[in-house]
Amino acid sequence: MADFMTSTHRAKWIFTPHDLKEKYKAANHRAKQALEKYGSTRVEVNIDGSFAYAEHAIDARENGDNHSRPKALKVEEEQLLRAFYEFKIQDVCDAFKFPRKIQATALIYFKRFYLQWSVMEHHPKHIMLTCIYAACKAEENHVSAEELGKGIEQDHQVILNNEMLVLQSLGFDLIVYAPYRALCGFLSDVEEFSGAKDEQLGMLENIHESAKAEVDKIMRTDASLLFPPGQLALAALWRSNEAHQIIDFDRYLRSVLSRQHPTLNNSDLAVALQAVYSLVNKLETPTSKDVKHIDRKLKSCLDPGSHDKSKKRKHRSKESSNDILDMS
Amino acid sequence: MGDGNSNASSSSRAGNSNNNGNNRPEWLQQYDLIGKIGEGTYGLVFLAKIKSNRSKSIAIKKFKQSKDGDGVSPTAIREIMLLREINHENVVKLVNVHINHADMSLYLAFDYAEHDLYEIIRHHRDKVNQPINQYTVKSLLWQLLNGLNYLHSNWIVHRDLKPSNILVMGEGDEHGVVKIADFGLARIYQSPLKPLSENGVVVTIWYRAPELLLGAKHYTSAVDMWAVGCIFAELLTLKPLFQGQEVKGTPNPFQFDQLDKIFKVLGHPTQEKWPTLVNLPHWHADVQQIQGRKYENAGLYSVVHLSPKNPAYDLLSKMLEYDPRKRITAAQALEHEYFRMEPLPGRNALVPPQPGEKFVNYPIRPVDTTTDFEGTISLQPSQPVSSGNAVSGGMAGPHVMPTRSVQRPIPMGMQRMQPQGMSAYNITSQAGMGGGMNPGGIPMQRGVAAQAHQQQQMRRKDPAGMTGYHPPQQKSRRF
Repeated sequence: MADFMTSTHRAKWIFTPHDLKEKYKAANHRAKQALEKYGSTRVEVNIDGSFAYAEHAIDARENGDNHSRPKALKVEEEQLLRAFYEFKIQDVCDAFKFPRKIQATALIYFKRFYLQWSVMEHHPKHIMLTCIYAACKAEENHVSAEELGKGIEQDHQVILNNEMLVLQSLGFDLIVYAPYRALCGFLSDVEEFSGAKDEQLGMLENIHESAKAEVDKIMRTDASLLFPPGQLALAALWRSNEAHQIIDFDRYLRSVLSRQHPTLNNSDLAVALQAVYSLVNKLETPTSKDVKHIDRKLKSCLDPGSHDKSKKRKHRSKESSNDILDMS
Repeated sequence: MGDGNSNASSSSRAGNSNNNGNNRPEWLQQYDLIGKIGEGTYGLVFLAKIKSNRSKSIAIKKFKQSKDGDGVSPTAIREIMLLREINHENVVKLVNVHINHADMSLYLAFDYAEHDLYEIIRHHRDKVNQPINQYTVKSLLWQLLNGLNYLHSNWIVHRDLKPSNILVMGEGDEHGVVKIADFGLARIYQSPLKPLSENGVVVTIWYRAPELLLGAKHYTSAVDMWAVGCIFAELLTLKPLFQGQEVKGTPNPFQFDQLDKIFKVLGHPTQEKWPTLVNLPHWHADVQQIQGRKYENAGLYSVVHLSPKNPAYDLLSKMLEYDPRKRITAAQALEHEYFRMEPLPGRNALVPPQPGEKFVNYPIRPVDTTTDFEGTISLQPSQPVSSGNAVSGGMAGPHVMPTRSVQRPIPMGMQRMQPQGMSAYNITSQAGMGGGMNPGGIPMQRGVAAQAHQQQQMRRKDPAGMTGYHPPQQKSRRF
């Protein structure tokens, strides 16, 4: 594959924890402001490509009745809702028996998308489906929107309507590096490193399988936006080895470093792996029950009219698409 | 293209009635449209200038929405995502991506290249009547290999190298620099490479490697090297090396005539020299048809008029090695003796560093000024356009070749503009003002696109039309 070192993935899509926090906060803040200003947070793409918030006439304000006004999601609620749909991505991809690479790509698209937008601005269900669809196209496993929609009983038009928005929000940086391939590389390296015999080969095979499952989990954490795929793969291997205890992992790490990155500090790598490890430990897999109330809040933010059937009029934002994206 | 977000600007003011009849996308304001320079399966290619810097020419490749109503064209996505990751002097540079939300079409803006190997070869064959000088051949080949080596070392196979996809820059800082273009079929090896035919893609067979002709399912970088060999020979002789008649049909038909043309020159491949030959599907399926023939080894050297001792011949024969595993790689080829002897290859392939060499003024690309970005044809006669500043500046550019620039007005019913040179972006000719941007977003658009698609399907049955080379009738049509 094209070289990770010169990739857009490395250059533009690896962040610090602080970056992520700021981005999530900024998107949330912008949506909140829109809610106050326009009574709704839903962003629509106009035919000329500009973005606009769908304005909702707030009758409630005049009555001084604060209860019927939709409340904005908190940053943590957004996070939980994203986590819910990130798990759904893997669910849907499994249902379609897509290769792991596709689900990883879709996940990364989804995560990158919501670095720039609040879930209040674009419904994560729609974006989830569109990310899966786009990942299939990019990974040469083309599935028609119709087929995808049918398989999960969703309107495929939603996918087509959001495709360009997603591609644009990703800046057309569509080649992503998933850790699965790096994992294969490390495992064959471990094989050589430990001079594995027959019985051990079987055990390494077990480690590989459980490490893949670890990568699946890692991909759902912020780690996929914080660390390069090689480090994610090593972290997965480490976690999986904890259970099996086949590899002398510390010795292996030192050997990897001395052979491949003589300049890289052993403790830097250990810190990175440690960070990934603890992110996975904190990984939440919310159920639909867990997010039910958030989802209800989201609905009223996106579409307040769904309750009181107030007339809506569109507010034309003066901002161009770029301004909105750059604000994040 | 720098930051994708800020550059992937959106637009096209459309649908609303208060736009003074101007249906152009907003981002278009930054360009002066000169005209259409190509047309094909995926869309149209336009020549434009950047308003803020009129010396800079841009080729804008417009991708229509995919034909089957399935969103953004996968070809466009593939081309963009690869080009976003690569950066090399000998690979075409994607400078911007624009979106028209009205019809979900994409516009890719590239640095404009005035020439391509197809046109350069044709100019020597039909106009100059003498071979391309040794310095130019060697420099073009070296730069092509240099770009290809970069792609291959990044695990990218181009899969559709042919003279019209090898661009050469005109006047300017990069005069005479080769740019590999058209990544619509390019693939990263790691992902499973489906045979082209399975993707419903049709490309010319003249540059297709024998293992693919024999049904190999997997593409390797060696297929690109075979194509380079064919292009090298064509630069030397000004004729396509293996000009087979394409068999049309579903899917991946056995291209007997193409293999026959190859065997006539290179002799019959043997299992001895190419051990995995027997594993190729078509080798077994067509044992009688292929192996029943006797091939005299005519000798590649006599076809290209080179002595077998000539290093150029040695390099060529290594590129045309049957066994893909033994075929020379781009990296090896760059180290070949041929490039270390005089004349040494240079950065400006078109102008030899030594004075005294005859300088060939290559013609500029013809531009159809009657077609606008929407693909609609206005009824003005087309104007000759120079690469310099003809349209608004009024002065003829330095490279104007009057014989070349004169174009006939394109009759409306004809819908097939200047085929020559149009293939530079691998958009083989196709009928159609239809399928273009439909500013109103009116449902009619889809119908028109479907119609254009049908026409294109029909055209595919015309053997000459799909090769990207001249259909015979065009030779007589010109001048």
